[in-house]
Amino acid sequence: MSQYDALFEPLNINKLTIRNRIVSTAHAEVYATDGGMTTDRYVKYYEEKAKGGCGLCICGGSSVVSIDSPQSWWSSVNVSTDRIIPHFQNLADAVHKHGGKIMIQITHMGRRSRWDGENWPNLMSPSGIREPVHRATCKTIEEEEMWRVIADFAQAARRAKEGGLDGVELSAVHQHLIDQFWSPRVNKRTDEWGGTFEGRMKFGMEVLKAVRAEVGPDFVVGMRITGDEFHPDGLNHDDMKQIAKYYDATNMVDYFGVVGSGCDTHNTLANVIPNMSYPPEPFLHLAAGIKEVVNVPVIHAQNIKDPNQAKRILEAGYVDFVGMTRAHIADPHFIAKIKMDQVDQIRQCVGANYCIDRQYQGLDVLCVQNAATSREYMGLPHIIEKTTGMIRNVVVIGGGPGGLEAARVAAERGHKVTLIEKAAELGGQIVLASKAPQRDQIAGISRWLIMEVERLGVDIRLNTEADENLVQALKPDVCILTTGGRPFLDQNPEWGAAEGLVVSTWDILSGKVEPGKNVLIYDTICEFSGMSAADYLASKGSLVELVTDDIKPGVGIGGTTFPTYYRSLYEKEVIMTSDMLLEKVYREDGKLVAVLENEYTAQREERVVDQVVVENGTKPNEALYYALKESSRNKGQIDNEALFAIQPQPVLSQDAEGMILWRLGDSVSQRNIHAAMYDALRLCKDL
Amino acid sequence: MMFDWLTPTLIAVLLVLAGIGAVRRMNLWRAGQADKVDLIAGLMAMPKRYLHDLHHVVERDKYISRTHVATGGGFVLAMLLVVFVHLFGVDSKVLAWLLLAALVMMFYGAVFVFKRRLNPPSRLSKGPWMRLPKSLLTFSITFFVLTLPAAGVLPEGFGGGLLTVVLSFCILASLVEMLFGMTWGGPMKHAFAGALHLAFHRRPERFGGGRSTGLKAAVLGETSHGVAKPTDFKWNQLLGFDACVQCGRCEAVCPAFAAGQPLNPKKLIQDMVVGFAGGTDEKYAGSPYPNVEVGNAKGGPDQIITDGLIHPDTLWSCTTCRACVEECPMMIEHVDAIVDMRRFLTLEKGDTPNKGAQVLENIIATDNPNGFSPSSRTHWAADQNLNLMKDVQQADVLFWVSDGAFDMRSQRILRAFVKLLKAANVDVAILGDEELDSGDVARRLGDDATFQNLAKRNLAILSQYRFKTIVTTDPHAFHCLRNEYADFDSDLNALASVEVLHHTTFLNRLVQEGRLQLDTFKGGKVTYHDPCYLGRYNGEYDAPRELLASLGIDVAEMERSGYRSRCCGGGGGAPITDIPGERRIADMRMEDVVSTGAELVAVGCQQCTAMLEGVVEPRPVVKDIAEILAGQLIEEAH
Ligand SMILES: Cc1cc2nc3c(=O)[nH]c(=O)nc-3n(C[C@H](O)[C@H](O)[C@H](O)COP(=O)(O)OP(=O)(O)OC[C@H]3O[C@@H](n4cnc5c(N)ncnc54)[C@H](O)[C@@H]3O)c2cc1C
Ligand SMILES: Cc1cc2nc3c(=O)[nH]c(=O)nc-3n(C[C@H](O)[C@H](O)[C@H](O)COP(=O)(O)O)c2cc1C
Ligand code: SF4
Ligand code: SF4
Ligand code: SF4
Repeated sequence: MSQYDALFEPLNINKLTIRNRIVSTAHAEVYATDGGMTTDRYVKYYEEKAKGGCGLCICGGSSVVSIDSPQSWWSSVNVSTDRIIPHFQNLADAVHKHGGKIMIQITHMGRRSRWDGENWPNLMSPSGIREPVHRATCKTIEEEEMWRVIADFAQAARRAKEGGLDGVELSAVHQHLIDQFWSPRVNKRTDEWGGTFEGRMKFGMEVLKAVRAEVGPDFVVGMRITGDEFHPDGLNHDDMKQIAKYYDATNMVDYFGVVGSGCDTHNTLANVIPNMSYPPEPFLHLAAGIKEVVNVPVIHAQNIKDPNQAKRILEAGYVDFVGMTRAHIADPHFIAKIKMDQVDQIRQCVGANYCIDRQYQGLDVLCVQNAATSREYMGLPHIIEKTTGMIRNVVVIGGGPGGLEAARVAAERGHKVTLIEKAAELGGQIVLASKAPQRDQIAGISRWLIMEVERLGVDIRLNTEADENLVQALKPDVCILTTGGRPFLDQNPEWGAAEGLVVSTWDILSGKVEPGKNVLIYDTICEFSGMSAADYLASKGSLVELVTDDIKPGVGIGGTTFPTYYRSLYEKEVIMTSDMLLEKVYREDGKLVAVLENEYTAQREERVVDQVVVENGTKPNEALYYALKESSRNKGQIDNEALFAIQPQPVLSQDAEGMILWRLGDSVSQRNIHAAMYDALRLCKDL
Repeated sequence: MMFDWLTPTLIAVLLVLAGIGAVRRMNLWRAGQADKVDLIAGLMAMPKRYLHDLHHVVERDKYISRTHVATGGGFVLAMLLVVFVHLFGVDSKVLAWLLLAALVMMFYGAVFVFKRRLNPPSRLSKGPWMRLPKSLLTFSITFFVLTLPAAGVLPEGFGGGLLTVVLSFCILASLVEMLFGMTWGGPMKHAFAGALHLAFHRRPERFGGGRSTGLKAAVLGETSHGVAKPTDFKWNQLLGFDACVQCGRCEAVCPAFAAGQPLNPKKLIQDMVVGFAGGTDEKYAGSPYPNVEVGNAKGGPDQIITDGLIHPDTLWSCTTCRACVEECPMMIEHVDAIVDMRRFLTLEKGDTPNKGAQVLENIIATDNPNGFSPSSRTHWAADQNLNLMKDVQQADVLFWVSDGAFDMRSQRILRAFVKLLKAANVDVAILGDEELDSGDVARRLGDDATFQNLAKRNLAILSQYRFKTIVTTDPHAFHCLRNEYADFDSDLNALASVEVLHHTTFLNRLVQEGRLQLDTFKGGKVTYHDPCYLGRYNGEYDAPRELLASLGIDVAEMERSGYRSRCCGGGGGAPITDIPGERRIADMRMEDVVSTGAELVAVGCQQCTAMLEGVVEPRPVVKDIAEILAGQLIEEAH
């Protein structure tokens, strides 16, 4: 055995044996399309986790039990119809085949949704109070509707059972209908469904009774609850202990999942899926508090990312099961790698929250750094097999995420790989990204890639700027250009970049340019770099105004990430100004004057500052590409049909002389880490 | 001729001296403990054992086997005829001619012995053994000349006085070596002791192609356990030691010796002889224990062996791989002797080195060597849906999981095997937490009490259930169950009609029966490492190779493979006692692997897997055959 024994001690939930203590907790995957039916993609996504050793998967975050709890926004699983049953059977088989267990979270979202689509329902809530995060207005739920929803819960549980799943989890967390009833913050009723403690508990209790009656004593029924809503008018930790005890006393709940924080404001929502700005396991104490008062196993997830942390938590007995949800999104082979004594090879979640930020936009959940996740069904592998074909000489130019991923995959395939990087270190723009306060963990993405390429014996040449001659001299069979981009400051000559009047966020984050005292940042992109530069400058003591022509600074950043930037920027008194275009910068009396113009009124304002920083995206570094293009046998072209279908590039099987040339990542056009790595993986996996 | 009487007298005197020597030698052996041996049957069987079994081993070195037939055969025949012709003076030309022929044969052989000794390999002992070819030549030439008159080739009394003196001297010299030396203790002793050793061998089952590898049970509850002093050995073990020809074949195959640990099986046997005969090792003229000077070891029949004769580290260096036993032309049983002496160290002195004592304590407290909680034994199978015997009571196959259950690497082998069993729809069950450690490690570390306790308890559990076959992925448990448990099973008959199989054997049957659909293997070159406890201990060399062949793998064999496989270093508790050497055995084995150019080494043992995977990377990948097969399994679509 190993130091990780604590992870591998099986434990029963009700009569169900879970092979280890690691759980992938419920998350809305956004893969259940076609009216909420689980797809091949969905099944393969979970099969991969089971294959990778995960003990229990609770799938179907926020799967709806009723037709008036909209399903389509997040393509969550639709458990309101018997049509789902055969789909469940496929899912259950796929997971069981690998020894895993699978349950589903079922819920009625109440007011926590959008009404403007699908069946256009009136959303319902105990007291008709609007939910701000989804801008969701709602009606006050009536008793007839309550009993219908209670019956819907029971039917949904039956469908899960008939479909061969191992259990259901009732969501009473993240402000869904059950905990909307619980919370005095939103339950203002004075009838038997509110007011007193018992009154507020009644809806959930009726749901539990109905579900238990339907599925019998042996089928697992769990409950996910908050440990503290963190709202003065909401449920605090003592309230939650009382509630947990109350439900536990029924002996009808087989486990409790505990989440720290409420979720009905932007700021609390960010707590729920803590991004990289949070410390490890920030809310473990809340789960441990609940464990003190209940007699069944307790599961807790929230920023538990590495095996040692999980082991420590389990050994100390804070909880019985450790949720490692994003950890499994980033690496579904997490457990298998521990078992293979390859802990170093685990791709650890960095808390970039690309996954959840996409989910909140109704986009399919993807991992910023693992392009294979949820694309298993298309044939994208997590474990890359060696080629049985010819061994090629592969040269990759540029050591950003795209280049590193290309080098890694090519080396896993068994090719001879050389990676050339101009800078003194690998990582590309991630190096800059990690310089900002609270963003240092993003470097985990490149750290893992670097460890892998080193392990795989890639010939890494730093401080080497590749030019045409260097590439030709290496005589590559395949040359992959991932030279990234450079700040695009000369779009408007009036900014005066050529005269050195403005600098880029890269100059600031890299330390190339000292922070000014009084700084204006003009950010047309509204993503990480502008916000990061503002946070960085403010943390160095600069007075910062962050100006954008967009509707608000950081608007391009997802729902669990902009709040943590805002916390930091407001605290440091950064002024955020929207709707202003930077027209011109000029020097006057040793100071810089920035001329701003309101997009909607054309009114001009001037700011006198020491430093103007412009974030206007990047322009691709494509000179080397054009220098090599003509001499390459594919003229630098990538066959998009094959690429999008995740098929081998036809040029690979053509018998011809000469170098194959591909270019990907920001060196083609500015996109992001995932885009660069996805292309690298799908191109190189068939190399 | 005036000295007519001289030749017969010399022969007679030396025959008498040889007789005295023999009595002395036999008394030395008889100081050992009694052992039940059928003396008459043994003697009757001896010639066949010599001609067939012993020769089978000698045959492996063609040069020496031919040489030995000529020299040894020639001498035996010649000596008999010398007695008739020259001692009793039987006047027969036929006999004389026969004698001449025998002597020519012997001479011919002796020339080759002589040649080998011109530049002997390091494994051969020097010293008196360098003299032997000269003695052989002298004997054959002298008696050839002496016999010429009897054959009528030369006149009686030819040559005159000088020749007579020379010849008489030669007679004396060669007969001292060949007759007196044989019994008193020269190199020729091997012929005398060897012949009797064959007759009274402690493991007669080994003759006629049989295999007898299970250790003999220690008699518990006696005043002293194990072998403390030479006379604690059985008398026929002492006799066996005396049979050693110091050929050093054991030395050449011993992994501990090669790794520079302080063990040389040849020297060990010679030290045993020093022990029971009394004296020091200063005359020993072979390779020493690595890094241990020769000449300082002293012993006597009633002196504690580990007080001055052999350092305990020598005994703890042995991996019990049986390479020496397999290779020994005299069929000497090194491993028995080593474990006998370990029993004393462990049971009487409590001196099991390094982690040994801890491991034994663990086994006693938790029924497994690493002290894991016994209730975690079946954790690995939480997701395997395996039947437990206690639930189903019977099954076709009992899968003996063994202590790999506690080890994450080994669990991969277990899971792979289960996957294959399921694919072939085998009706299988496991004992779950009822299974205990097989006792292998305890036994090899000399703690036979714990071994016997575990064996009896395991047998008691096994006897509760019905099954036809036990299959295990662990060759050590396999060996215990198959070869060692029977000594304790006479009451329960738990295993009486049960077939115990290694998983490779069982899987091979499944493949032959077409019950597993396997894809051809497309990876690179593959070699196979024979685990000692599967190969030499149990003779299973074919099934693993056939399985690999069934995947289309053409095994790139190592030079040391099959019965000559080199141990991985993991047996006999050696990783636990961990006696330092110059190199690690596993590293040497990995070099063997690397020299085949293989990218993958297939094994059939969790311990070998652990040892070989412990070698620093880069190195070939190590996989159990079950894992390789499971990787190629074509699963039916669901
Ligand atoms: C501050 C900041 C924060 C960001 N935060 C995020 C985020 O949170 N999430 C996200 O998805 N994206 C983020 N991005 C964007 C993301 O980092 C890029 O989209 C991504 O790094 C592009 O990867 P790439 O491999 O194509 O190029 P790059 O990362 O730009 O790497 C290109 C590499 O090529 C090297 N190079 C160039 N020319 C040569 C040459 N001729 N020879 C040798 N080497 C050469 C460069 O030195 C560089 O190391 C951020 C960007 C910045 C600046
Ligand atoms: C993409 C995504 C979607 C999620 N959706 C849900 C959900 O529908 N219901 C729920 O209870 N939790 C949801 N969660 C929260 C997770 O269950 C988990 O509590 C959270 O990710 C913190 O655990 P981690 O740090 O191990 O990832 C979601 C998380 C992610 C990343
Ligand atoms: S996208 Fe980011 S937060 Fe989500 S799993 Fe991947 S690394 Fe973790
Ligand atoms: S059993 Fe193996 S290790 Fe022990 S002495 Fe013999 S050859 Fe050497
Ligand atoms: S013990 Fe056997 S193999 Fe070793 S030297 Fe003696 S005779 Fe040879």
